[in-house]
Amino acid sequence: MIEGGSLVRATLSIWWVATGGRGFVIPFIIRRLVQFIPTILLSSFLIFIVISLAPGDFLSTAKLNPNISPEIIAQQRENLGLDKPVLIQYFLWMKNIILHADFGISFAYTQPVWNVMIPRIINSLWLVLFITILYYGMAVPLGVFGAVRQNSFADKAINVVMYFLLGFPSFFLALLAIFFILQLRFKYHWQIPLGGMTSDNFVNMSFWQRVGDVAKHLIIPAFIVAIHSVATLSRVIRGQMLEVLHSDYIRTARAKGVTEHTAIWKHTFKNGILPFVANIGGELPALIGGAGFVEVVFAYPGITPMLLDALNSKDLYLIAGFNLMTTILLIIGNILADILLVAVDPRVRLE
Amino acid sequence: MYCSDVAAASFNLQNMWEVKEYIMKKTLLLALALSLSTSLAAPFTLPASWFAESPAKAKTGGEIRYSTLSDFKTLNPFTSSESDSLPDVMTSQAGLFRQDPTNDKMIPVMAESMPAVSNANKRFVVKIRKGMKFSDGQAITADDFVTTWNIHADPKVGSNHLSDEQINDKPITIKKIDDYTVQFDFPQPSAGAYSRMSFAPWPDHVFGPVYKTKGAEGIKAMWGVSTDPKSIVSAGPWVLSSYQLGQRAVLKKNPYFGEWFKDGAGKPLPYADSISYRVVKDLNASLAAYLAGQVDAAGISRADDLAQVKKAIDSGNLKAQLFANVSPNATSTWIVFNWNKASDPTKQKLFRDVRFRQAMSHIANRQAMIQLALGGLGSEVYSGVYPVFKNYTFDSTPKYKYDLAAATKLLAQMGYTKKNAQGYLTNASGKVLEFNLTTNAGNNVREQEARIFTDEAKKVGVKVNFSPMDFNAVIDKLDNPGTDRPWDAILLGLSGGDNIWPYGSNVVPCGTNLHSYNYTKQGGPCLSAQETLMDKLYYKGDQTLDPDARRKIGEQLSKAEALNQGFIYLVGSNYHVTYNNRLGGEFKRELWDSYYGSRPAYGVTTYIK
Repeated sequence: MIEGGSLVRATLSIWWVATGGRGFVIPFIIRRLVQFIPTILLSSFLIFIVISLAPGDFLSTAKLNPNISPEIIAQQRENLGLDKPVLIQYFLWMKNIILHADFGISFAYTQPVWNVMIPRIINSLWLVLFITILYYGMAVPLGVFGAVRQNSFADKAINVVMYFLLGFPSFFLALLAIFFILQLRFKYHWQIPLGGMTSDNFVNMSFWQRVGDVAKHLIIPAFIVAIHSVATLSRVIRGQMLEVLHSDYIRTARAKGVTEHTAIWKHTFKNGILPFVANIGGELPALIGGAGFVEVVFAYPGITPMLLDALNSKDLYLIAGFNLMTTILLIIGNILADILLVAVDPRVRLE
Repeated sequence: MYCSDVAAASFNLQNMWEVKEYIMKKTLLLALALSLSTSLAAPFTLPASWFAESPAKAKTGGEIRYSTLSDFKTLNPFTSSESDSLPDVMTSQAGLFRQDPTNDKMIPVMAESMPAVSNANKRFVVKIRKGMKFSDGQAITADDFVTTWNIHADPKVGSNHLSDEQINDKPITIKKIDDYTVQFDFPQPSAGAYSRMSFAPWPDHVFGPVYKTKGAEGIKAMWGVSTDPKSIVSAGPWVLSSYQLGQRAVLKKNPYFGEWFKDGAGKPLPYADSISYRVVKDLNASLAAYLAGQVDAAGISRADDLAQVKKAIDSGNLKAQLFANVSPNATSTWIVFNWNKASDPTKQKLFRDVRFRQAMSHIANRQAMIQLALGGLGSEVYSGVYPVFKNYTFDSTPKYKYDLAAATKLLAQMGYTKKNAQGYLTNASGKVLEFNLTTNAGNNVREQEARIFTDEAKKVGVKVNFSPMDFNAVIDKLDNPGTDRPWDAILLGLSGGDNIWPYGSNVVPCGTNLHSYNYTKQGGPCLSAQETLMDKLYYKGDQTLDPDARRKIGEQLSKAEALNQGFIYLVGSNYHVTYNNRLGGEFKRELWDSYYGSRPAYGVTTYIK
């Protein structure tokens, strides 16, 4: 058993080692969090106001229903709190978040937004993780290859294909994929999943069958999103690698006689990826942000279809709650990225 | 917070006792009632004559697989506002009455017989069919109907059924006479009395105690999407078995339903063991799932989709039936002109002139709209009664069909005889005949219809300045009353209604919020003589219970409405049917239309071949 105090000390010293003795992590985090309070307040205010200022509200479509009288709409508006001035609505919302961690009720689901969002976010998380792994798994080798075999036929061929794919919107690629899957199913009767996250008999499957079933459904949409944008990352990695490859210290390293493998992966690649580490903070909200229209086209139960529904119906607290959560994750992501940067780049200090 | 009623009640001991005592009381009563009634209970029988094939051919078992475009948002029947909600699916056919698709008349379903009507068509005493049970085995009695009605009627709950339970803000009341008799008292006679009374009952033993202790807030918190399906109780053919959020809902047969709900051969319904709904947000994805045989039916509307289904059937890849243009849908687009433009007397005078509006109907090239905007799959509409309501379609209703010469003649009568250098009509003072038209941006069909209208208008010299705008902005314009409303003309559409009294309660009467051409204030006055007549006939028909007398009033009303041309009705989409060959149990072909569908809703008679 470690006492509380020594636990803190132990953690601190671990961090101290991790950052190579270039600054205390805890005070840094606290300082950054305090700095971010005004950011969060301002952004939450803006989010709320922007949604509220757009014409119409959750009950607008009901106005076109010949069977719902204006009195009933007025009563509903009162029930939902939409009759109050926007500023009051905002303060009530903020008050409940700060005092009770209550992000409000989704109008359409009549449930707390948290309960509505979380299952969708988790579904999206699986897809996005799959995408991220495939994305880096393809982009890094291709980028490095492009730098090492610069302007070779293979380098050029890969570039052409990748840029070609980048030119399509990803949902269109997804539609094409669905078309080809359908043709394959017609022709060979292969049971390739056409969409969704699980098969019809999912509830009756064992744990490992379930994992396999979900993976089977994830692979095609994940591959489409990943390959669609591989060009962006692989080209930047290629550029970074080329810059480092031509620097003096790589020449020195090679002159010293290090193997080609060490020269590329240890010396060039590690230096080449520094700019990405600084950007990793932006990835955290992207993880919960879903895979976009591909989720819609593949009927995947992620966050995007739900958010589109919410935007369409102006489900105020659902949209605002989700946006606020991504803002907070962006902030946390940035803090993590700063700490990571200190860990990988000896020239940076936590100040 | 998800709480089943029992969990909610167990928070305090007193509630617990109340619940227990209540259940015990009810069980005792039921045991008594059951021993009396089992021998008397007569089942409801769906007439075999409605169906394409003899019920003797129907097979039992299997799963019907459908898809839905919108995620199921709640299991709570009192807060649900979707069109195909899970509570609707579960309680399909569960209501006191339903319409007979062969003659549009009401027949008793959960009611034992048609009610005794008294007090000048305002009192209905309904005998409830005995021997009906919820999916948890408890009997369905008067208490369930009374509690369900009262919760829907509580404005704090925010139920979509509220408008069915009041007339002009005056409540319709329900009273329990005995365990199997309820009495409805209407504040005035109502054309839709039977459909108002045909709601699905929900278990009093589940909702009643929560409503008593926690009121509307307690009800609203119940039966969210993450509720354990085991705690869901249904009076209808299906009960929820599993729901994976945003993915798939599976409903299994309520075994007690078939004890009183039989087919023409006396077999219990539903035939299938389960029905599943796959949530597919995108139309292309839902079509793909249908083409691949993963779902058994698809709601198709676009010409391209029909072509794809046809291609798949012709090539032998999909074993299915396809019927295009079965009937018009209960919907239409229209153009409405603003009569309340105090700041622009010329335009106000123009829009209030019935000759102008009739001319605008002559300009509307509805065939071009069907061919170009709807891909050939649509129907012309000339009145607020959609053509699918055949019993309310009358030969005496005037139609101002596409006829540019007639339009020119009417405009000339109004003084627009000269054309300027650009070819637009001007009046004596040289003012060009022009107006602004808008619709909601992003709706391609409406935008194309507006463009066709604009082009045709130019041919007779009417200048239409068309610019679409955001949906909510259009609704704001349409919905805000006043004597000077800031718009000229709007193209939009409405849909829905029934064939009992197919005139919109907030469209036809003056001073209602969708009486969009003349809306000076809530309850505001009529302007034209036709409008006044329509207003009077609307309320007269709405208070007429006898269907034949009501139809006669409808004929007059339709005529007045068409003469008035407050809305220039344009075109509506058509209804198409396609389903996989593995499904049976559809209505006979001549009964199909968009109102009754091609088979009873939600698979109650659908069987797997």
